[in-house]
Amino acid sequence: MIKRKLTLIMENKPGALVRVVGLFHQRGYNIESLHVDPVDDFTPYKFIEEQLETKFKENEISRLTIQTLVSDSLMRQILRQLNKLIDVIAVSNEETTYLKGVLLDENLL
Amino acid sequence: MGKKLKLSGADMLMRALHDEGVELIFGYPGGAALHIYDALFRQDKIEHILVRHEQGATHAADGYARSTGKPGVVLVTSGPGATNAITGIATAFMDSIPMVVISGQVASHLIGTDAFQETDMIGISRPVVKHSYCVFDANEIPKIVKEAFHVATSGRPGPVVIDIPKDMTAPDNLFEYEYPKKVKIRSYNPPVEPDENQIERAVAELLKAKRPVIYAGGGAIASNAEEELFRLNEILDAPVTNTLMGLGIYPATHHRFLGMLGMHGTYQANMAMHNADLIIAIGARFDDRITNNPSKFSPGAKVIHLDVDHSSVSKIIEANIAVFGQVKNSLSAIIKLLETKLDQYNKDTLQPWHDQIKNWKSSHGLNYELYKDESDENPILPQAVVQHVYNITEGKAYVTSDVGQHQMFAAQYYHFDEPRKWINSGSMGTMGFGLPAAMGVKFAFPNEEVLCITGEGSIQMCIQELSTCLQYNLPIKIININNEALGMVKQWQDMNYGGRHSQSTYQNSLPDFVKLAESYGHVGIKVEKNSELKSALEKAFSMKDRLVFVDVYVDPAEHVYPMLIANHSLEDMWLSKDKKT
Repeated sequence: MIKRKLTLIMENKPGALVRVVGLFHQRGYNIESLHVDPVDDFTPYKFIEEQLETKFKENEISRLTIQTLVSDSLMRQILRQLNKLIDVIAVSNEETTYLKGVLLDENLL
Repeated sequence: MGKKLKLSGADMLMRALHDEGVELIFGYPGGAALHIYDALFRQDKIEHILVRHEQGATHAADGYARSTGKPGVVLVTSGPGATNAITGIATAFMDSIPMVVISGQVASHLIGTDAFQETDMIGISRPVVKHSYCVFDANEIPKIVKEAFHVATSGRPGPVVIDIPKDMTAPDNLFEYEYPKKVKIRSYNPPVEPDENQIERAVAELLKAKRPVIYAGGGAIASNAEEELFRLNEILDAPVTNTLMGLGIYPATHHRFLGMLGMHGTYQANMAMHNADLIIAIGARFDDRITNNPSKFSPGAKVIHLDVDHSSVSKIIEANIAVFGQVKNSLSAIIKLLETKLDQYNKDTLQPWHDQIKNWKSSHGLNYELYKDESDENPILPQAVVQHVYNITEGKAYVTSDVGQHQMFAAQYYHFDEPRKWINSGSMGTMGFGLPAAMGVKFAFPNEEVLCITGEGSIQMCIQELSTCLQYNLPIKIININNEALGMVKQWQDMNYGGRHSQSTYQNSLPDFVKLAESYGHVGIKVEKNSELKSALEKAFSMKDRLVFVDVYVDPAEHVYPMLIANHSLEDMWLSKDKKT
């Protein structure tokens, strides 16, 4: 088990955060720490806007970071489960980014 | 262009459901849903079925969805109405069944005040829904309905909850109604078409395999892939096994069909999976009832995994080749490429594999007939009940089941040649599912034979729906395989707990099911002797316009075999009470 950091870009909607936190509990994953902020500078996320053919507006998305204690074999499963949540736009760990069906080989979040 | 229609939230909801193509809703009214129920009363496009318990509504909608492929729709009130629906929502979630559940909620200004019949439906349903919506602005009702149906039916299907506070449906607040033509959710984009590279890699493996097994599950049914699967195997000529959820996706009477695999799968299906060199998993997810101990699972096999859900692949068993997309489309792509390479494939190379499988089948196939003795001194065997039902209905009926031994006997001995005809709670294992699910199927297919194979334990969990069956005149046939005990629990207690039958028998407290059926206005038939079984079943099925409850007393000591030995491989099975592989 090693401590890993996950970053999520998600819709800033009621109930979105609890879906993420609930998934950790439901699937037996552990949360060491959690931090969430609304995103006001969209420049780093231009690639998401292009990929999803959308335009982010003020207060629409949040950036969430989670520290979790997890084995390597579980890491991919957590990323995929988070990516499946409908309010989650993108999720990354240190090496990869899942952007709704697209797997990118670096941490872009 | 005229002026846009102005409607209340409740009328918009009804209108949106109609615009979505909904014909049937299963539900139960109550305070927070009364505006909606009034809107329902004032329209004539959508029929509402009044069940006797909200669990029945969800299972009925589920049976409707499984048999038709269309989403089931449920309408319940807040509080207990909503919580009663949870078991059925969870059942649909675990088996990936499309369903939209609309729940009333207390008025917005009362939320959080512990109001009468208030419960946090979004919170309580969250772990068992694909997604959920709470309406905060009545203007959004059409858009939310559109999105809910899109989410429920696309990708890996599942239930979606729409929770609607009562003030959102108030009759005097009117809104301009327009149903969205398109839906786009930017953060939801399930895969449809497979990646070409992966298709090429998959085909290369298919051409090389000497001991392939096709392993198809409920995802293949959800994707309506039966023609593609059949065509693929016209080319490959490989053995095919189905999961409990997949039965019917490949014809059970086809000579390449191995039967179901897993916990109570056939000897030949489990042996073939264990000894395969290539497993082609199609909309199946290597559930723990399939793999037994994952570290001992099929040691020599490469795995090609076709699935629409990224998180189902390499979750339990690592896939060598992952093909993401609608499995129907992925199969089409594989077939298309295979057809250009037919010169590189020779069916005859599989012959030693087929011979091996034939040996397995003849040594330990499903063989209760070997010890069957149909004289009246001997009790009726539960397998014989299913076999008679199969023969009488010529294998063409829609069969729902409950959960336990009777479910496994039905899966083993009713041979489904078509998908969507075997309706059972696979992953969740929900007792009480069978009767309401049969109602949902019968509403969808009023002219087809619909029967429910159940047990005296399960049937009592939703028995109240017999009243619904009378109200709507549903001539379902209920086959109650009555062993006077919670058979599967008792079997485990026999095998693992020294025969200590803790709380698995009823001490002569069972009702007289014949009288019970009669008191609900139906026909009841009791069968206790082998010599009466066939004629009683024939009589039941001859009563086309009546619900008939056939209560068959069977051997209480009978167990379901084969049965995987826990924590071992798929090769390790109990074949009878005293014989292991």
